[in-house]
Amino acid sequence: MGLLSKKDQKLILDPLSDDNPITIQVLGICSALAITAQLKASIVMAVSVLFVLGIGNVVISLMRNIIPSKIRIIVQLIVVATLVIIVDQVLKAYAYSLSKELSVFVGLIITNCIIMGRFEAFALGNGPYKSFLDGIGNALGYGVILIIVGFFRELLGSGTLLGFKVLGDPIEKTGLYSIGYENNGFMLLSPMALIVVGLIIWVQRSKNPALVEEN
Amino acid sequence: MANTDGNGYTIGFATIMVIVVGGILAALATGLKPAIKENERFEKQQNILYAMGVNENGDDTGSVNFIPTDKVEEEFTKYIKETYIIQGGKIAQSDEAFKVDMKKESKLAKSTRKMPLYVGERDGKKFYVIPMYGKGLWDAIWGYVALDDQLVVQGATFDHKGETPGLGANIKERYFMDDFIGESIMNNGKYAGITVAKGNNDPKNLTKDDNEVDAMAGATITGDGVTAMIKSTLKSYIPHIQKLK
Amino acid sequence: MEHLELFFKSIFIDNMVFATFLGMCSYLAVSKKVSTAVGLGAAVIFVLAVTVPINWLLDQYILRDGALAWIDGSSNGEGYSGYDLSFLSFILFIATIATMVQLVEIVVEKFSPSLYNSLGIFLPLIAVNCAILGGSLFMQSRDIQTLGLATTYGIGSGIGWFLAILAIAAIREKIRYSNVPAPLRGLGITFIITGLMAIGFMSFGGMLTGGEEEEEETAVAIKTPAQEEINETATTVVSTTNEKEN
Repeated sequence: MGLLSKKDQKLILDPLSDDNPITIQVLGICSALAITAQLKASIVMAVSVLFVLGIGNVVISLMRNIIPSKIRIIVQLIVVATLVIIVDQVLKAYAYSLSKELSVFVGLIITNCIIMGRFEAFALGNGPYKSFLDGIGNALGYGVILIIVGFFRELLGSGTLLGFKVLGDPIEKTGLYSIGYENNGFMLLSPMALIVVGLIIWVQRSKNPALVEEN
Repeated sequence: MANTDGNGYTIGFATIMVIVVGGILAALATGLKPAIKENERFEKQQNILYAMGVNENGDDTGSVNFIPTDKVEEEFTKYIKETYIIQGGKIAQSDEAFKVDMKKESKLAKSTRKMPLYVGERDGKKFYVIPMYGKGLWDAIWGYVALDDQLVVQGATFDHKGETPGLGANIKERYFMDDFIGESIMNNGKYAGITVAKGNNDPKNLTKDDNEVDAMAGATITGDGVTAMIKSTLKSYIPHIQKLK
Repeated sequence: MEHLELFFKSIFIDNMVFATFLGMCSYLAVSKKVSTAVGLGAAVIFVLAVTVPINWLLDQYILRDGALAWIDGSSNGEGYSGYDLSFLSFILFIATIATMVQLVEIVVEKFSPSLYNSLGIFLPLIAVNCAILGGSLFMQSRDIQTLGLATTYGIGSGIGWFLAILAIAAIREKIRYSNVPAPLRGLGITFIITGLMAIGFMSFGGMLTGGEEEEEETAVAIKTPAQEEINETATTVVSTTNEKEN
């Protein structure tokens, strides 16, 4: 981090904990619920958002002085959608198997309010370099929560991590399953993602009482 | 800096943006169309071959290994002997079968729908590969099921447009697709289809004559979609397969 | 009947918040008070009711494969019917939504400043509410057949969202009197309550399935004699019996 000034460091580090997009700013919840049943899907989504938010923030920041305020929402949405569609089409033509993996995420990225939220809150008022750092920082903060939730849901729900059977085989009754352990299928359902995020908030705010809400 | 709040500026900006964005996307879509179409054709061939057991799975039991794209064209002509189109209750040999757009056909009434059938041969055994198209939780799902003369499933592939990753999206995982192998679609001489069943106390799918495979946890609606798709599609193919064998 | 079925289905079974988890961000952020929740909910109903039919028209006559055929009356991929503009659907849907939201904002500001003041800040928020785009995308992927049904679907989904935010806002107002552990207060407990409510709503899912496919087949069989012929061959060859069709 020696390359970055104190202020720039803050841009990246704050969203990781004290200003986390999911647990504090309440942005990007829908996708956090939809895709965290598997660790792999969570990682893919985190990387995609990192990419789109980093570049999108720079683009919007470069355009910030010429965007008419009356139609800024349309402009922002169209910039994200165009970026995502371009990537999707290029992948379809030149890396088809990769695009098959990612195509499900396209819609989720466009509708992800974390992207619009950061455009509106940061990129419209700051220069491209700072916006880039802000984009990266927020995407990382978002990714961290996604990966934590994905880790617990896959481990407790399917007994696997990234597809590897870490707790033994539930059908052959090996490993943990031999002493009567069962997978909690409930963890795979979306409501449990809400509850896991709720518990993460609990842990985070117990560690940092400054974040506790009055009511 | 110009006044960015004026109506004239706003309209001008909007116009330019529409032209730029529209231009980029249209150029991209037209320019990449041939490459995308080719990839889609390869994928379809890979899927058909996979269903009839022509794949590179080898000893690997965990993941799906299609024939590589550079070989698939050649293998496809080698294994797929005849293609048919069923329409209005009549079956006819046709080279157009591969070009039938399942998505478009699925919107037509059953009596006017074109239904392709691929007949392949591997190691002296005949396979009837049936394409199907249905609906999952979020969007379209589709697949190919290969039957033999006895109407027993020899292989299946499924795919989807936008099912939830980690839940419904598991229909394209090996463990789900492999479950179908060996299941008969008939029960005591009657058509039964195959049901994706929850809690059938047979997670290893050892009982092959119950017309059931084990469902994916947390993906009820996608599983029901697969059941409905298989049931309604295979039903209209059976009389024609009986005639062909 | 069809309308009624779709209406209740979109409110309860396919509830935007509890079944598909769309529109969560504004749902969680703007549910502290019942009065503001009502304002936002009403705005969502309105925007969904307007944008879903508009996007249905766009999809039907511009976007889908062969949709441009009305320009020159061609068919089977000749002339205009050969175009497939579905890659533009995201952009056009979003543009419609953002335009509508901005339009509503301008109109309300002009004609009813008092309503604008109480609603004003929530209006721009609606454009980023993924429930709105979700409504249009579901309309497209589920092949809703007529403009009327699309409107019903839009209104129904909006009401479903409205009920959800109203319920959570009411709970949050009351929970102030409960002794919630300090770090969980506010957002944390809201997440957990929503999770529990979603589990409750899952029981409506049981009403979703059953008999849809069969009904469709019977309907087709009545219309077309050719279909019965196929069914007959099917019955004789493999002795399939289907009570509904025979």
